[in-house]
Amino acid sequence: MLNVKKRSNKILFFYLPLTLMLTWTIFPIYWTINTALKSEGDIMKRPLEYFPSAPTIENFVMAWNNVGFATFFKNSLVVGISTVLVVIVLSILSGYALSRYQFKGKRSFLLMLLSTQFIPRAMLIIPLFIIFKNLGLISHPLSLIITYTAVEIPFTTILMSGFISNIPKELEEAAAVDGCTKLQAIRYVLLPLALPGIVATGVFTFIYTWNEFLLALMLTNEQTRFTLPVGLSFMMGEFNVNYGALAAGSVIALVPAVILFAYAQKHLVSGMGGAVKG
Amino acid sequence: MFKKYFLTPILMIMVLGLVACGNDGDESSGSGTGKVSEDVVELTFWDENAGPQRTPIWEELIERFEAENPDISIEYVGLPNSSSKSKLDTAIAANNTPDIGSVQTSWLPEFSARDALLPLDDYFADSELSGLINEGAIEFNKEIVADSKLYGIPYTQNLDVIWIRSDWFEEASLDAPETWDDFFHAVEAMTDSERYGYTIRGGAGGSIQLQRLMFAYTGFEQYFDEDGNAVVGDPANVEFLERYFDLYKAYTPESDITNDYKEMIAGFDTGVVAMVHHNIGSFGEHNKAFEPHQFEAIPLPKTEDGRYVAEGGNTINVAIFNSTEHPDEAWRFVEFINSAESQSYWNEQVGQIPTNSEVLEMEWIQDAPHIETAFEVYDDPNTILYQPPFYLPDYRSILDNIVDPGIQAVMSGEKTIEEFLTEWATAMEESEAKYKEVFNE
Repeated sequence: MLNVKKRSNKILFFYLPLTLMLTWTIFPIYWTINTALKSEGDIMKRPLEYFPSAPTIENFVMAWNNVGFATFFKNSLVVGISTVLVVIVLSILSGYALSRYQFKGKRSFLLMLLSTQFIPRAMLIIPLFIIFKNLGLISHPLSLIITYTAVEIPFTTILMSGFISNIPKELEEAAAVDGCTKLQAIRYVLLPLALPGIVATGVFTFIYTWNEFLLALMLTNEQTRFTLPVGLSFMMGEFNVNYGALAAGSVIALVPAVILFAYAQKHLVSGMGGAVKG
Repeated sequence: MFKKYFLTPILMIMVLGLVACGNDGDESSGSGTGKVSEDVVELTFWDENAGPQRTPIWEELIERFEAENPDISIEYVGLPNSSSKSKLDTAIAANNTPDIGSVQTSWLPEFSARDALLPLDDYFADSELSGLINEGAIEFNKEIVADSKLYGIPYTQNLDVIWIRSDWFEEASLDAPETWDDFFHAVEAMTDSERYGYTIRGGAGGSIQLQRLMFAYTGFEQYFDEDGNAVVGDPANVEFLERYFDLYKAYTPESDITNDYKEMIAGFDTGVVAMVHHNIGSFGEHNKAFEPHQFEAIPLPKTEDGRYVAEGGNTINVAIFNSTEHPDEAWRFVEFINSAESQSYWNEQVGQIPTNSEVLEMEWIQDAPHIETAFEVYDDPNTILYQPPFYLPDYRSILDNIVDPGIQAVMSGEKTIEEFLTEWATAMEESEAKYKEVFNE
């Protein structure tokens, strides 16, 4: 009797809410995939088709070849990966400095880092555009890499310093006793322990660069240099919404993020935990 | 040690990044502007409403132009419709505009006031196009800018219509509405347990459509009366909006409050609503969803005294930006786009009205019922063409930032219609007063 009650409680308070939550989250993704696999005529058809009766990949082919997603995808990858690498290196170093050293003005430095997050991005567009124009970098991926790095560095530095603070200083001291230099101690002792934090920083940065629309549009004047979010916005004109290609484009844009999350999930959770505890 | 562990990887990353970017650049220039000899002039063209439907049309036209003009190469840059104005604003602010652009008529006053566009009067006067392009549209473009010069050549014209499900009307033995009373009656008659009679655009862009409906109802010919009051605040508009917003929820979907273009059109194309107000430009979408006998475009209902009302300047232009170093070559492209053949190709594909009179004789025009509807309005000598104050620099921002949210406030019951219209009229009047003060009128 007790067992039955226990089981029904588990269903009611555990499985049911989880199933509901999962359905709530998964449904839009399922619907996007469903739409992407339908031909244009079937998308608008009533009654609604919950599974495509004649699945087709024509929307993917169209998005990839005709709309230019092949190019946008490559551009997004170049910008995303480069930004992640630069941000990781810089935020490890600055995070380490903030965590391990005491220096004059440390608190105000931290405050300044935080303050940068309050500036609306839209306000920066014209000054940034003029700077990059003078540098000859308009439409060059470097303009996006530099901007994204600058935008991300304050947050990732704080994230990283929180995580490094969590690693006992004694480990580095022990390494120093064994003859390691400061940098060797960081390289061989600190970095492996900080891996979850590094992954969290990397994923966080990648997702931001992958989804960013405004700066990507404003700092690029060439069709062949646009990134994925700009490409997706082409699907929604005032006179024409191509739902099939839009859905297919969204699925294409989703894939790297999903793979990345699947791979980094474990690290991500412990990474965030570390930062919060710190 | 620092070099070994940090500087080297950083440098490698930088170099790799640059190499990746550099390679990318070579590829891109291969298709566009890189592999051309030194004698070829390279021009950039920005399209303000790019997408899977329109981009290939432009690409085809550019290909044809380059074949005819081997000394000019055009680089196409498509901009998403919703952000194209801000992209152009940034480019103008940073003096980094393209050579040529597709520009909406309502942008001309602001862009010309910012000295971003090249006057085309002389080019146009000497061109074969002079006399062929719709004179009314050309004059309109001159009237709305402060210095009365011609800054854009209209290549397509549009008109607001109501799309109706003709098959449902036939089933219900109901004629397509001609007057506003017919319209309100039809909305009610078409509503049943499975469908709505109409759908209201409550989200982005709702203000522009609502303004056109209000003028069509009241028949005002001017935006401001003699005393400088904006006619949107007139009691006739209060009366109209009371009738119009009474339809909400009773005969229209509740979700109308956030209706953007795509939701509104999807409602019509999936058979949820019987009538939708948009323009002839959405023909392509309906044509994909229905058989020809199932839908048609009808003009906005006539005023009480039986006249059609349409907004002037419902055109899109090709304009040359002031920063171009090759105005003559840019003009050749403008001329090419406005030639009968190019305009015919563009407008037939998109389903809008060409402005070149030579195209109007072509067969496809005669066979397109929705374009015939547009001509019925434009050719009627009694049609009122009112002129919105496009010359006010903040005209669009008032519509976007005051009127759009105002519509939602009325629909949600937060504001009364009088409050909404007073706010709208006051904003326009203040802007007009400021404009007159600056230009010493």
